[in-house]
Amino acid sequence: MNRRLFKERTILFTLYGFTVCGCLVLAVILATVFMKGAPAISGAFLFEESRNFGLEGGIFYQIAGTLILMMGAALVCLPVALGSVLFQTEFLHSPQVKKIFRLLIYSLNAVPTIIFGLIGYLFFGVFLEAGVSWVTGVLILAVMILPTLHVSIHEAVESIPKHYREAGLALGLSPGQQMRAVILPQSLHGIVTGTLLGLARAAGETAAIMFTATAFSGVRLPQSWTEPVTTLQTHILLLAQEAANPEALTNAWGAGLVLMTIVFVLITVTLWIRSGLEMEAQR
Amino acid sequence: MNLKQKFSEKGPAFWWTGFAALISSGTIFILFISLVIESIPVFKAQGISFLWGTDWFAGEAYGALPMIFGSLMVTGIAVVMVLPFALGSAILTSEFLSGRLRLMVKAAMELLAGVPGIIYGLMGIALLTVWVRDVFGLIDGNTLFTAGFLLAVMILPTVMTLSEDALRSVPGEFRDTALSLGLTRMEMVFKVVVPQALPGLAGAVFLGVGRAMGETIAVMLVIGGIDRIPQPWFNLFAAGQSIPSKIGREAAEALGFDVQWSALIALGLVLFVMVMTLTSAGNILLRKAR
Amino acid sequence: MPRRSSIKSILGLALILLGVVGTVQIGLVGVTSALAQDSTVIRVAGSTTVLPIVSRAAERFQARNSSVKITVNAGGSGVGIHGAGTRRLDIGFASREITPQENNRYASLTTTVIGRDAVACVVSSEIFHSGVRSLSKQQIGDIYLGKITNWQQVGGPDRTIIVVDKETHRGTRHVFMQYLFGKSNARAPGARLVTGSNNEEQAKIAQSDSAIGMLSIAWINDDVVGIGIREGRQVIEPTLKNVRNGRFPIARNLNLLTAGKPKGRVKQFVDYLLSEEGQKIVESSGYIPIHSPHAVSKVAGSHSK
Repeated sequence: MNRRLFKERTILFTLYGFTVCGCLVLAVILATVFMKGAPAISGAFLFEESRNFGLEGGIFYQIAGTLILMMGAALVCLPVALGSVLFQTEFLHSPQVKKIFRLLIYSLNAVPTIIFGLIGYLFFGVFLEAGVSWVTGVLILAVMILPTLHVSIHEAVESIPKHYREAGLALGLSPGQQMRAVILPQSLHGIVTGTLLGLARAAGETAAIMFTATAFSGVRLPQSWTEPVTTLQTHILLLAQEAANPEALTNAWGAGLVLMTIVFVLITVTLWIRSGLEMEAQR
Repeated sequence: MNLKQKFSEKGPAFWWTGFAALISSGTIFILFISLVIESIPVFKAQGISFLWGTDWFAGEAYGALPMIFGSLMVTGIAVVMVLPFALGSAILTSEFLSGRLRLMVKAAMELLAGVPGIIYGLMGIALLTVWVRDVFGLIDGNTLFTAGFLLAVMILPTVMTLSEDALRSVPGEFRDTALSLGLTRMEMVFKVVVPQALPGLAGAVFLGVGRAMGETIAVMLVIGGIDRIPQPWFNLFAAGQSIPSKIGREAAEALGFDVQWSALIALGLVLFVMVMTLTSAGNILLRKAR
Repeated sequence: MPRRSSIKSILGLALILLGVVGTVQIGLVGVTSALAQDSTVIRVAGSTTVLPIVSRAAERFQARNSSVKITVNAGGSGVGIHGAGTRRLDIGFASREITPQENNRYASLTTTVIGRDAVACVVSSEIFHSGVRSLSKQQIGDIYLGKITNWQQVGGPDRTIIVVDKETHRGTRHVFMQYLFGKSNARAPGARLVTGSNNEEQAKIAQSDSAIGMLSIAWINDDVVGIGIREGRQVIEPTLKNVRNGRFPIARNLNLLTAGKPKGRVKQFVDYLLSEEGQKIVESSGYIPIHSPHAVSKVAGSHSK
């Protein structure tokens, strides 16, 4: 084997090494959470209320709280993201303005989430007087996942073949009718995958909701607009601070397993939808 | 057609979607302006010394330097640690892997990117801090290094997928020409493709850095929480404090309590400016690459 | 491979499902809120030392008064005081007294004492078992100032001292620093780690084998041991007995804070905490009730795990 080939093989080997390590990280995380969390999972754990500062009982209301915040955020965000994309694609024609628009959305995506919490509290908690409540949390998360939905929907709308639109115009459809009859149905996959990814992102967020939407105990399901919720994320945070107590840790891992399951199901479904379409496109 | 006529012809679709567009594009301005306005009290009370003061004691003094230092330090550690892995996998995936394997790696990265921050925090506080302490023989595992390590893992998917996109967008002619000149595959990749993709790669790194700087919860649990610059400054194994970690720890206490709240918001403003600068630079580089 | 039309129908269904579930959920909240018109919500938060008492009392109080809902949060004494002062909270709880600044800021703050507690200087069990059973005020102070850095210097093994400090607004820290240095806002340059709640501090000291920290005596356990305070020739152990008879020097009141005197439902809850049943909860949580008729000889509290 000559020198060049040897060098070539060594580098290739190293690259494979790096890649395997990268994928291995995922496996390690999944395995750890699963192995440490599985002992905590039981019917009681999933459906009971938490007691004694999370050391006993279950995480039922925590799961509910996470779901409430996730779903609420997606519900609030979807119309805004959809409308915003449609405005951009149907009514804006200057490339510079479109560029600026994209820049603004991408910038929003990069904002550290704790800042959403800080300013969100000011706007929704103080200004709208919702206080530390699930509504504040929902609104903050809705703003936070806006770029996620926006990008996905935008890509989908942009990929609609031109002749579909031209057909609509030829039939004399108004922009509103065009949207309803042509664009929305054709971009459905982008809307759904964007929403699923947004849900996953909202489920994983702790910093933005920890001091704006949650409480430690005494909360079941919120019974008014201004009550806080308890979530899986903040529950894990609380339990993590008792790292020396094995009971607390086991419950923390268990809650983590549930949270990861929710997030991963959402992402896997998204990947499945996307791969189904990519295979379609390759035919 | 004058402006008034133009607007009066617009149907309801225009106004509704326009309103939505206004919200989504205006949010970032609202964030920035709010940060500035709410920071004013602390700057009024302390002037610009806020930025280089090293003493932070609620109710008395507010100095941001240790937090700024901490943020830069853990981010730096994260970037140095992630670079070989992210770039290595990106190169392998874009240049050497078949379609199916490529999709699998990309799927793995997408899943990794979805792992919630609190899970990293839990793994950090329960496992990583003990591991770091034992492996490096430290007295305690809550250090800047530990936080940097966690961040490296967190930004791996971001840096890897963006780098991979940058590499793939290098036109095929470059590769064909290089191979026809007799370069081996590896030489082609490293001497031709990578240099061509450099702006995109840099952009990917910048975006990863932006993400690392903004992470709160994982860092908060393992960094040690000491508002001090380590002695000596390059001691990675000392405890420290990052900006989001500080805000996370004190926000609940300071909710609405003027100067302290303003100081936390001012910290947020500094973070915002740093992250936005890096991200914008990153986006510009990425677009140049396309 | 799924065909395009079947993907579309799945997607359409998925979207409708999401929409339905989401709306139903939000709707449920709206409905339950309409039904719950008569219920009062009492918001309480504050010191993690007082938290166990209030949390347990809240559970029992709510069981008896179904129209009352009490949401409990931690956060620390600072959160409790500022929350009560700004009326964000109905009751704030603190493990320290209000500072003069806080008093100036929130003129109407009213304090109700519901118990007593002590702050012990605690060390990792390995340090305790290797001979460090007590330290003087001077020594502890020097450790926190960074003047003493190795356990060897105070009769222990040759190991660096991991000094665990607390967030500056925590009641435990105020009281501890007041004792060590005469001012509650003293800086601790020798600190290696900063923790928040009593739980976090307990966990960090237990995880280490050479740590020192400050902890409510109710959190002392086998891994986190309270050392005696040496004053002159005497050594005062951190026991409930020494707190009751006033010998232990680092003791504090456990306070409830309200904006103005408690009224209505809030007053009912405060009264419950002051009642015999409420005071039993104080005692079983490891603290001292405000009227303590009998001495207790055990050292450890109810957070020994």
